[in-house]
Amino acid sequence: MTGVSTNAFATLGLEPKFGYAREELERRHKELSKALHPDRYVSAPAAERRMALSRAIEVNEAFRRLKDPVKRAEEVLRVAGVAVGETAEPKAAPDLLMEMMESREALADAARKRDTATIAKLGGEMTAREERLLGKLGGILDGDGSKDAALPILGELRYTRRFLDEVAAQEEALLG
Amino acid sequence: MLLEIFDPKAAPKPIGIDLGTTNSLVARMRDDRPVAIADCDLETLVPSAVHYGAHGEILVGRDAMRVAAVDPRNTIVSVKRLMGRGADDAETRRLSTFEFVAPTSEAEKKSVRFKVQGKVMTPIEVSADILRKLKQLATDELARVGGAVITVPAYFDDAQRQATKDAGKLAGLDVLRLLNEPTAAALAYGLDKKKDGLFAVYDLGGGTFDVTVLRLEDGVFEVKSTGGDSQLGGDDMDRALGEVLLATIVGGAPIEGAAPELVRVALDAARRAKHALTDAETVELELPVRGKSEGAVVTVTRADFDALIQPIVERTGVACRRALRDAGVKPGELDGVILVGGSTRVPYVKRYVEETFGKAPLDDIDPDQVVALGAAIQAHVLAGEGDKADVLLLDVLPLSLGIETMGGVVERILPRNTTIPTGARQVFTTYADKQTGFDLHVVQGERELAVDNRSLARFTLKGIPPMPAGMARLEITFKVDADGLLEVAAKEITTGIEQTVEVKPSYGLSDEEVESMLLAALDHGEEDLAARRLIEERVEGERVLGATQKALEIDADLLDAAERGVIETSVSELATALRGTSAGVIHAKVELLDDATKAWAGRRMDRAVEKAIAGKTVGAIEEGVADARGVDAHVAEHAERAAQRRGD
Repeated sequence: MTGVSTNAFATLGLEPKFGYAREELERRHKELSKALHPDRYVSAPAAERRMALSRAIEVNEAFRRLKDPVKRAEEVLRVAGVAVGETAEPKAAPDLLMEMMESREALADAARKRDTATIAKLGGEMTAREERLLGKLGGILDGDGSKDAALPILGELRYTRRFLDEVAAQEEALLG
Repeated sequence: MLLEIFDPKAAPKPIGIDLGTTNSLVARMRDDRPVAIADCDLETLVPSAVHYGAHGEILVGRDAMRVAAVDPRNTIVSVKRLMGRGADDAETRRLSTFEFVAPTSEAEKKSVRFKVQGKVMTPIEVSADILRKLKQLATDELARVGGAVITVPAYFDDAQRQATKDAGKLAGLDVLRLLNEPTAAALAYGLDKKKDGLFAVYDLGGGTFDVTVLRLEDGVFEVKSTGGDSQLGGDDMDRALGEVLLATIVGGAPIEGAAPELVRVALDAARRAKHALTDAETVELELPVRGKSEGAVVTVTRADFDALIQPIVERTGVACRRALRDAGVKPGELDGVILVGGSTRVPYVKRYVEETFGKAPLDDIDPDQVVALGAAIQAHVLAGEGDKADVLLLDVLPLSLGIETMGGVVERILPRNTTIPTGARQVFTTYADKQTGFDLHVVQGERELAVDNRSLARFTLKGIPPMPAGMARLEITFKVDADGLLEVAAKEITTGIEQTVEVKPSYGLSDEEVESMLLAALDHGEEDLAARRLIEERVEGERVLGATQKALEIDADLLDAAERGVIETSVSELATALRGTSAGVIHAKVELLDDATKAWAGRRMDRAVEKAIAGKTVGAIEEGVADARGVDAHVAEHAERAAQRRGD
């Protein structure tokens, strides 16, 4: 588990919500980097250099967390006081687990056959599914209702994410 | 050019250094333009070769190359390949041209050592000798050398970066920053003026090939991906043609058994031919033929040469396509391709690059100089002499950082391509009852098993109070600075007894080691060291004084009268100390001023942040800044929360 303590939105000076475009986050990250990057403090006294380094680290960490939609969703929930993390969330539905297992078997099978077309197709399907889930998640997180409904979607996203990581790893291995 | 009159009190001038595998060079700014610094023979390239003589004399550059042929054992070349390599690394064993010394202790394993003239040396010391030569060249021209920016390949891991920085320190340079070579090349081309764009840097040197995809957006440079082949370069081209020429030279005998002198003749002729074919379509070479008094004249056409080097050049294409893929970029999306390295002068290479990236490459800056020129620009900016408002270089971690866990599997703590500086914390628990020590192994790389990655540091956190397994909670904090250098701290947080171990990764040199190396290198040991310390304290003192005075001009309104009084007193005390000759007094006054300005520095940083995002949700920012207290505060808070959880 990673020790998460500050509110990443506050560090970047943003309202805590899910619906940010990647470009908006990148722009804010760059604005803050221009003010806080250690290169801006090379001729500064040692104490100031250390302070700039700490703050730049904060900003980069916050950006790293928020640009990943899954982590950003976690952050929104955390700010709203909902416990997150795999142990705190409800267990995944059995049919989701079964479905994911089957998908992973299909992926492993395609990898064994070095069938890059099938791997790409499986990856594409999962990416589309992830997009749909993210859309749904945004609706709940940025809506007025209870945010608890986001937890099962977040759980499902963890599975799709792991699957896509695996697809990337297999593609990397096959393309060399 | 304006005549620069020697002035011992001249202001120190920043320099940029390209510390290359085959050649190195140093550059500086003159009339707002970067220029390479030449020696008395008007040569700018310094071969990265060092010869150690029997009586302690050290030759660097062309002088070393001249004796390399007769005394190869005591001439170190391509030392960059060994930077940051441990004694047990596969790479070390492969490069067996030097007399390597087996490590006699665990501490010695962290760096390759080899024996030269009966003396045991590390690659850091050899690199420092090259850097000293470059510093000397710069001093001859500038009177006083200020801070230096040294370039490193974008893929250099933490160990290699640390070794490079240590070499700079050892050479007496004030290293402002390590800069990625491709970024330096982009700066030299002034791409930062363009504001936005996607660029590839194709760097084919004597023995290494690197390709990097860079993105520039809104004045911020980002390395998107990097790749290459550390055993591919112009030397391979020389070898390919050399083999053909050697067949003529040995007069029909098998080339495998040819005497080294004949091989040298063939390689030299091949290199001459390669250079000539850059402009000419054909070249005629006169070669000696073994056993005959008459030599032979061989004609090589550019087409012949192209056919010979084709397989070599095509190998670069694999790395290029991979780098594009990693960056998620298609060739057509690139706004420009930059050529770096002497081997990119070969017309076939240029053509190949154009085909691969679908774009004619930029080549109007000398490809041997372009990296050093970019480094000089960045040194100028960092020293506060340039227009620093515009460019910012955001680098990423080239390789993931992780910790070895049970079963030798790596738990990734910071993934590659994370923007630096960065930090992360991870909590581990003990796995045995009453366990009082915890072994940590920090690795860098992408592989799943720790043994397949680069080992950075091993250390044991001791003094954990005996508890049942899983009860003790160890928090590991990683910090990576803007140069990509790592610091690891470990802390036991369960009992409230905090123990922090600061770990500099194991390959670097400790301050004591640097000191003893310095002592050994200096003629008058202690005396010189004291003089050097005074110089270093003065540099820092002047820097702090200058920065404070500048800040007072701009941000004095953020001080109340009392604070201002204290700062002004500290400033005048430091100014007085700087006129004296006590390193200790200067150091004390710098610390005093540091303390006096700390709170103010925080307020000034807040103001800089507000300005950077002016007009955009300022209320939220104030809250954000109040929240951004740095890693240390977080760790403390985390410990507190962990304590609360236990209380539940």
